[in-house]
Order: sequence, then C-alpha cells, then structure tokens
Amino acid sequence: MVAFVLRALGRKLWTLLLISIVSFGVIHLAPGQPSQIDPLNPRFTREQLLRYRAAFDLDKPLHVQYRLFYQRLLTGELLSFKDNQPVLGKIVERAWNSFPLFVVGTMLVWCYAFPLGIATAFRRNSLFDRATTLVVFALISVPGFYLSYLGIIFVVQTLEVDVIGLRTFGREGVGPLPELMDRTWHLVLPSLLGATAGIAVLSRYVRSQMLEVIGSDYVRTAHAKGLPEDAVRYRHALRNGLLPFVTMLGLLIPGLIGGSVIFETIFAWPGIGRLGYEAILGRDYPVVIALNFIAAVLTLLGTLVSDVLYMLVDPRIRL
Amino acid sequence: MTRDPRSLSPSRLAWRRFRKNRAAALGMAAVAGFFLFALVGLAITRGERPVLDPREVRLPDKLKPPLARPNRDAVPARSLPRLGIYLLGTDELGRDVFARMLSGGFVSLSVGFVAVGIAVALGLFLGGLAGYYGRWRIGLGRLRLLSVDTLITALIDVMLSFPSFFLILTVVAVLKPSIWNIMIVIGLTSWEGTARFVRAEILSLREQEFIQAAQAVGAPGGRVILRHLLPNSVAPVLVSATLGVAGAILTESGLSFLGFGVPPPDASWGNILSDGKRYIFDAPWLTVIPGTAILIVVLAFNLFGEGLREAFNPKLREG
Repeated sequence: MVAFVLRALGRKLWTLLLISIVSFGVIHLAPGQPSQIDPLNPRFTREQLLRYRAAFDLDKPLHVQYRLFYQRLLTGELLSFKDNQPVLGKIVERAWNSFPLFVVGTMLVWCYAFPLGIATAFRRNSLFDRATTLVVFALISVPGFYLSYLGIIFVVQTLEVDVIGLRTFGREGVGPLPELMDRTWHLVLPSLLGATAGIAVLSRYVRSQMLEVIGSDYVRTAHAKGLPEDAVRYRHALRNGLLPFVTMLGLLIPGLIGGSVIFETIFAWPGIGRLGYEAILGRDYPVVIALNFIAAVLTLLGTLVSDVLYMLVDPRIRL
Repeated sequence: MTRDPRSLSPSRLAWRRFRKNRAAALGMAAVAGFFLFALVGLAITRGERPVLDPREVRLPDKLKPPLARPNRDAVPARSLPRLGIYLLGTDELGRDVFARMLSGGFVSLSVGFVAVGIAVALGLFLGGLAGYYGRWRIGLGRLRLLSVDTLITALIDVMLSFPSFFLILTVVAVLKPSIWNIMIVIGLTSWEGTARFVRAEILSLREQEFIQAAQAVGAPGGRVILRHLLPNSVAPVLVSATLGVAGAILTESGLSFLGFGVPPPDASWGNILSDGKRYIFDAPWLTVIPGTAILIVVLAFNLFGEGLREAFNPKLREG
C-alpha cells in the first residue's frame, strides 16, 4: 500500500517537472527579440517587450531563466505588470471570492447529476430517459454564455432584481441580515448557470457507468437468485456503479480555475477566472503564466488524491 | 432477399444498431444538412460579386428585423439584397445576417474539422507510438531511463492537467490574431483523449494472434500498425472525433465571446453571436439566430457521436 502511494507520487513528480517546463515554455511563445516585433500585431508593443524581457530575464540562459522564474513565483517576488503587487497574493485573494461560487456550484452538480444519471439508467429507454437525454444533450451543446444571457434577461425582466456582481450596487449599510441575503441571492444565478454543463456531463457519465454495471454478470446472478428489484439495484448495482466517482472528489479542486472564466466575466464576479481574463486582456503575463501553472499543479494534486482514494475503496488496485 | 444475420460484418451490425437509434439518425441528418449549408454558403458568398454579400454595409438599413424589406430610397440599387428581403434581418452595420450566417457556417465547420483533424492525427501518432513501440527506451548514451510509453503517457498527463480553455485563451492571446492559430491551438490541446484510446486499444490488440501472425510472416512495424492495428481501433477514434468537432465549435464561440475568436472581417457563428450580444434588447435576433444555430449543430454532432458510441459498443446493446 505504501509502495502504491510512493509509485503514484513518483509519477506525479515526473509530471510536475514537465508541467513546470510547459508553463515556462508559454513565456517563450510571445516574441522575445525586439527584431521580432510585428507592427501588425497590436497585442505586443515595444514597451511591453522590454518590460517582458526584464521580468522573465530573457537575456540570460534558458536554465537560469527557468530557475529564476520559479524562485520568484514561489517566494512571492513575482510582481504583476499591472499594479506591481505580488502575483501569489492577488491569486489567493481572488480565489477566496470564487470559493462560494465554486462550493455552491459543485454541490448543485453533485446533487442533481447523480439522481438524474441513476434514474435514467434504471429506466432505460423509457419516455423519461429519452426526454432527459435530449435535455441533457441540449445543455451540453448550448454555448454557456448564450444560455446565461437568456437566463439573465429572463430573471431581470420578470423579477426586476439585480443579478450581476457580488452584491447589489449601492446597498451598503443595511444591516448584516439583508446584506447576507443579498449576497446569497447573487450567488444563485451564476452558480446555477455555471453548474448546468457540469450536471449534464456528469449525469451522462453516471448513466453509462450504471448501465455497464446493470449489464454485468453478478447483477444477473442477483436477479436469478430471486432478490427483490430494489435490493439488486441499490445494494448490488449502485455501490459498484458509483465506485469510480469517488475519484472525482480529488478532481474537484482544479474546477476552481478551470471553467469559471466565461461565467465570472458574464456576471462581473471578481473571482479567479475573471482575474485570468483581465490579466490576458492587460498582457499581465506573470499573472497569466502563474495561473496556468497553479491550475495544472492543483489538477495534479487532485489526481494524486483520487488515485489514493481509489486505492482505498477498490481492493483490487492494492494488489 | 433475407440474409442470415450471423453473416453480417461488425460494421454492418453497428450500422443496424445506429439506424435504430432515432436521435442519432436525426443527428446525422442534421450534420449532413449543416455540411450542405456550409458548402452552399461558401459557394454563394465568396468571390468578387457574390450572390449574397456578407460584407455589404448598408447603414440606412441597420438593425432590421428578420423578413424586413430594404429601404429602397436610401440604399443604392446595387447594394440591395438579392432576395428582396432580409431573411434573417440585418446587424448594426446593415449587413445581411443570412449572408453572414451562410459564410460563417463554413468558417465554423472548418474550425471544427481542422482542429479535430490535427488532434486526431496527433492522437493516432502518439497513441500508436506509445502502444506499439512503448517498450523502446530512449536516453543519452548508455543511460536509457525512459521508455517511449512513459514519456508519452507523461505528456498526456501534463496536457490533461492544464485547464484547457484557459490555456487555449492564453496561447491565442499571445499569438497574432488569426483563424489558423485558433484551429491549431484547439487541435494541439485536444489530442489526449484520442491518444489514450489508441494506446489502450493497441496494447490489447498487439497480443492477439492475428498480429502475431502478421509479425511472423515478416510484416514491418509500419505495415502492422497501419494495416492491422489502426483499422481495428478506429471506432473510438471516430466517436471522439465527432464529439471533438462539437467541442471545437463551442470553444471557438467561447473564445469569440471573450474577444479572441475568429478575427473580422471573417464571420463565424461564434463571432456573430458575440457581436450580437451588445444589441440584445434592440435586436434580439442577432443573438437568438446564431445562438440557436450553434446549439442545433453542436447538438447534432453530439447525438451523432453518442449514437456511434452506442452502436460500436456491444456491451451497451439491448440485453
């Protein structure tokens, strides 16, 4: 068991090294020499280039650049181009703003996707299954921002309430309870719309996983020996069917950065996704590269956690 | 003429299962319709004097609703729409939305296909390499630490760790704005799924007797891979390619929304939709028409791909 964890850890360290090289490589995608400046590219001017060269030590050898970049990032010395604040501090601050959105969104995804997936699998090819499948595919296929605009317009026109941002503008000093309620309301729409795609995708995975289990030999055996339907479904099929999803607990962490760019931009939510978008718009390369690197490292940690969880719940892996 | 069902080839059996799935057949029909729309659109909106000109600016006729008649007094006769009406209305510059949708259809289609083409080619190549030549070791001099398989799986892990949308956004924002960059970047960040399928498939196929037979008669590695292994692992690749086109079209529309999509003057469905959002109250058709079109096309590709997956997967057959 210890050997298993160590082997997983070793592989992750390998991957971490490659991730750090790829993140660092993104720096070199932008033109590095003044002679490479293309007057037709409005996204990279001469002034930016000089600043860029200084910030990433582009005049030093590659391995020195690499070492200096990560040294600065991890000691908090890497500064944002925009306001000269440490990049790490900015990211942590914005991550806290994203946190409630992320928690509510994840809870919505899990609370809806599992019952939906299980119910459609048990009633395969029923009208309910086919209708749900169509709706779920429509939700996967719609551009998220299009759906959000429709949702915002609908809510604003029918309820005439504010939905954008962390709280209603100009409603400060109304006491703690109304403030809390206001903030809670502002969470509803962005987390719901941000969760729709997740609900749709996860419920499909749950459905196909359950179908696979229902078709397996031991479930047929359970039926054959005359167990009641519910016992077969919930005691035999469900437990094994949901096993792989334990690993998804580990993959939750990276969701904090991943898909939030579009939704936080639409809802003017000052979270980490919007920080990334603002940094990209403002050519704030230290923030952009740090965000990519941190997101990748979080995902890696997530996969490590899920490997260990899987080992804990599935005895076959431990052998 | 009736044939013995036992004599049907696996692909014929898959086709039978596919045809029984009404949603998938509908999806395939819609995909075919989209192809036709895009090709006809390309034919009649290109050239010096196209039948329908997507670039013709008519300021007196701006923001006309669908089916509106042109203002014959203000618009010069040579700029009048050929159809006599604006079938899908006009945008903020008086450009014909129907013509723009026609020319944008081909752009969206090619973004999807080129991106997926790159992803599938890379996935087949790296997956095939890892599957067949995985045990080869590479390294410096006598130090042969790394096997090909370790290297390629590590690369897959790395790519899966980055938040793909944010990484695409980063790279597209650093590079010069161009439609080719978008296709290439989407392609380079979405090959991991294909590579994993192909690798797993080849790892299990290469131990089977027909491969040993091919090797025994002296077929070179390239021939074994191209003639025997790849044709047998094509089904999951086809499925993931179909779903990949849907994903690429959605990614392009997301990039357009954030201002990094296909640059003007080229119209894509994504940038028509994201340009329309500024006029969502005055001219809702500028949002609803491209939004719904994207929804339908992406849904069609998803249903088609899902139908293929079920048809090729004997485990999911009716039991």
